[in-house]
Amino acid sequence: MARTCARRPRAAAAAAALALLAAACGGGGGDGEGQTLDVWIMEGTHPDATAYFDDIGERFREQTGAEVDVEFVPWADAHDKFTTAIAGNTMPDVAEVGTTWTTEFAGAGALADLSDHVGSTDAYVPGLTEAGTFDGGLYGVPWYAGVRAVIYRTDVFEDLGLEEPTTWEELRETAITVSEERDGMTAFPVPGDAVYQALPFVWGNGADIASSSDGRWSSGLDSAQAREGLSFYTGLALEDGVSSTGAGTWKETDLQDNFISGDVAMMIGGSWTPAAILEANPDLEGDIGAFPIPGPDGGYSPSFLGGSHLSVFNAAEDPDLAWSYVETVTNDDNARRWSEATTYFPGKRKQLEPYTASDDPLVRPFAEQMSEAGRGLPATENFGKVQGDMVLEAMLQDILNEEATVGEATARAAEEVEGILNEGS
Amino acid sequence: MADPLTTRQAGVPGAPVRAPGPRRSGAPAAAGRSGPRRPRLSARTRRRWLPWTLLAPALAVIAVLLLLPLGRVVWLSVQDYGLDNVVSGRSDYIGLDNYARLLTDRYLWTVALPNTAVFALVAVVGTVVFGTLVALLLNTLSRIARTAVLGCVLIAWAMPAVSGTYVWIWIFDVDDGPVRRLLQAVGIVGPEGYNWFAERVTFYAVAALNVIHHGFPFVAVTVLAGLLTIPRELHEAALLDGAGAWQRFRNVTVPTIRPVFAVVTILSTIWDFKVFAQVYLMPGGSGGNRDVLNLGVWSYVRSFANQSYGLGSAIAVLLTLMLLAITVGYLRTIFRDEELR
Repeated sequence: MARTCARRPRAAAAAAALALLAAACGGGGGDGEGQTLDVWIMEGTHPDATAYFDDIGERFREQTGAEVDVEFVPWADAHDKFTTAIAGNTMPDVAEVGTTWTTEFAGAGALADLSDHVGSTDAYVPGLTEAGTFDGGLYGVPWYAGVRAVIYRTDVFEDLGLEEPTTWEELRETAITVSEERDGMTAFPVPGDAVYQALPFVWGNGADIASSSDGRWSSGLDSAQAREGLSFYTGLALEDGVSSTGAGTWKETDLQDNFISGDVAMMIGGSWTPAAILEANPDLEGDIGAFPIPGPDGGYSPSFLGGSHLSVFNAAEDPDLAWSYVETVTNDDNARRWSEATTYFPGKRKQLEPYTASDDPLVRPFAEQMSEAGRGLPATENFGKVQGDMVLEAMLQDILNEEATVGEATARAAEEVEGILNEGS
Repeated sequence: MADPLTTRQAGVPGAPVRAPGPRRSGAPAAAGRSGPRRPRLSARTRRRWLPWTLLAPALAVIAVLLLLPLGRVVWLSVQDYGLDNVVSGRSDYIGLDNYARLLTDRYLWTVALPNTAVFALVAVVGTVVFGTLVALLLNTLSRIARTAVLGCVLIAWAMPAVSGTYVWIWIFDVDDGPVRRLLQAVGIVGPEGYNWFAERVTFYAVAALNVIHHGFPFVAVTVLAGLLTIPRELHEAALLDGAGAWQRFRNVTVPTIRPVFAVVTILSTIWDFKVFAQVYLMPGGSGGNRDVLNLGVWSYVRSFANQSYGLGSAIAVLLTLMLLAITVGYLRTIFRDEELR
């Protein structure tokens, strides 16, 4: 791999030449003068992201003299795009990195250790700093987080005299009622190409995707609890008929699209989606509500606590400039504006307080879910490969397409998860 | 074509341009110019090197764009190469381990290879047959009607593969697509519907429709060009001998434009074997449904989702070797020996 190594000095030389040229022509200004920061931000989080980042970019330019070039990347392609960029050495300087990917990219050596810049991590939400920590260093600064709960149509519930369910059995009965009473509507779709909708039914029944002891990972997917939970979840589609046939190959985006077009009564969706749903279909204003995902016999089923870090890539030409951009994006003022527009929760504890005390019906249930039953994925850099290999999606689709029983599919998935997580150990 | 070298040597605008002959080539320069005389290469050397000099830019482009990446993929395929190797630049040479792992993987023999080969066979036959039928139709049409039909055909060709795929996905939407409604209206599919994206055969049936729809215009246009070169007398003679339409097609048309069929078949085979976007973008096609991956998508998933760049490259090399073998086989059977030369 001499080529990658050889390319860096060349790029550096080109950058130096450009810098000299810029200095010769312009001169003066901040220390970022003439530089351009390449920033990747995930698409679809903020309804008007372009204006938001144009504004931040403008302020950042006034402050440092550096231009910011923001590229928006769709979530679905982002992981591939990152690995391709790392492979081709076309990484950005700063990027929004999904919290589940940070350890993976850090383990590969693509990210810069930000511990020295951050200092104490006490100010941040603990679950998020954990996800950004690898080998004792902090590689992702918590930016924002979200959690999934059940989003439903309040108008449909009112018409049919339904209450928000508080146990799995109530969830099932509610869905069956909607399905019987509303012909053109899918009561509770069970998407086969979306994992985060299924995990509450594994976790809620007390099972684990994987846990480690003495350095070896073992998967709980083939445990009795996980099988019971997944039988219930897939049974909603296969036995109770409250899902649709097409949902067997839906991604989370398909789920949301169908909810937006008014064809879905209940779905497990993120705290960030109500804003996007209303943006796409303003007719639903006032007709959507949310409740935390119920536990099997009351209480809560844990839901994935996901979010984004801001990371600085090792290839950044000016790491200090990149860090000051990260600081700008996560400062109190910008974080508040971001949260207001996206309904994501901020990554700093102090910034989070107003939300847990909110009485907004589209904020409180999520804040409750986040504080009571938020859950992370197995904290290992190899879990990205489990996701890349779509082990859990394949398991779900095999069950939903009736190519395997819950027992067969979970046994295979557990074996694959263990194989990948214990690779090279 | 004026030979640039000769023209320059002549140095006289409007001077008669001749192909450089072995003896003659130096003469015009000596006659037409009185400047300092440069030493010249012997005529024979120049004749030998001239084609290569003229080909050099094209060869350089091919080397950089084709051979370099190809060599790199082969080199990657004999390494254990992950994301950490990419970043650190370290490489672990493991010989043919990737190939051994690949060839002993049941998935290759039961899923990826059959999917790729059977799909390609169906798609190639479908594309060539349908394209030829359209070409025969176009050949019989009047000028205006031909232009109109050709215009419609070209729209299918001009549509980008990604947009086309999304249109087909929409047409076959499991819960609400036109096909579902039609089938339900005539009673073939019940109210619970049927998820054709979940089954291997139906998944690839939709993909084949997509690929044939996107690929037939090329065949139609190329075969039509061939049909137009067939002398009218041949068909008239056959007609006088009492040959029917099928006999005329089999015994006159096919032998006359056999090279055209060879070209469209080989190109279609190559395209359909390495089809990627049309499979990857379909529901479940990006890895969630393990039964529907083909070699191209499998290679991509192994490389970029699973970050086993070595294994992914080995799959890609395997695919390339298969295509090479098939192409050589085709060329041998379709062309007679003298046509190959």
